[in-house]
Amino acid sequence: MSHDHGNVLPSYLKVFFTLMALTLLTVAAAKLVHFPDVAFIPGYVINIAVGLAIAVVKVTAVMYIFMHLKFDNPMLRFFVYVPVFLFVVLSFALNILEKWTYHH
Amino acid sequence: MSSALNLSHEPVTKIASGKLTMWAFLASELMFFSGFFGAFIVLRNSNYEVFKAGSEQLSWVLALVNTFILIGSSLTMALAIYHLERQNTKLFRAFMGLSILGGFGFLIVKYFEYSAKYHHHLFPGQEEHTIFFSFYFLMTGFHAMHVIGGMIPMAYMLFRSYGKGGYPYPVKVETLGLYWHFVDLMWIFIFPALYLIFP
Repeated sequence: MSHDHGNVLPSYLKVFFTLMALTLLTVAAAKLVHFPDVAFIPGYVINIAVGLAIAVVKVTAVMYIFMHLKFDNPMLRFFVYVPVFLFVVLSFALNILEKWTYHH
Repeated sequence: MSSALNLSHEPVTKIASGKLTMWAFLASELMFFSGFFGAFIVLRNSNYEVFKAGSEQLSWVLALVNTFILIGSSLTMALAIYHLERQNTKLFRAFMGLSILGGFGFLIVKYFEYSAKYHHHLFPGQEEHTIFFSFYFLMTGFHAMHVIGGMIPMAYMLFRSYGKGGYPYPVKVETLGLYWHFVDLMWIFIFPALYLIFP
């Protein structure tokens, strides 16, 4: 039950302030910055990618520190990895099917 | 002979069984929300203008406030667990109370947001932006229900902690904490998806 991983309080606070800062950064990146097109990638796609990347960093911090994935049995991580993998497959599959069906 | 019927821990993994179950539940919750996000991505790409116009009707400032509230509530939940494991009942009560208050704050902001949408006739079944607002109400609505669903056992644990010896089951609070962080985690994705990614 009680598992001591040293003092976790500093890392809780660190995660908290990181999450706050990254939230402001997401808003700033979405509302103030309009990325230019890079090669064949349109600027708005870079905007979305940046927002998504920040969200992934935030969620990883929440899961590994607040939800103790970093300290607990590594087996628990599969409860995250598997659904995330399925979600990525699902999104890509749906998008590609939709494109094939309606745009060809 | 040692007791043969100690079922509180699975013998090999050493994970409390309630916690393991919560993780399995959260994995299924992740897939539940994945369905929304998957459909959202596809329909957004094929109805970009409608989604963009709909998203512009939302107040990202209110959503930002709510993000701060939820992150704060996640922190206080982690601190509540920390202090309960060290048998510091007073601080446990304080931080658990703050976490519940965070939930209330979130719902109050949500109430103002929803009533503004209702006044401006921005909901499914109206003429404009219908598909976007279907997603908006489904995703934020299910999320808000999750917030309410978390607050009920949290209030119960806070109430029980006023009994003799404080709240006696730290693992249960830890398990509920997992759920509460998950609610925060879902919001971290919903916030940019609905409010921000339409430049």
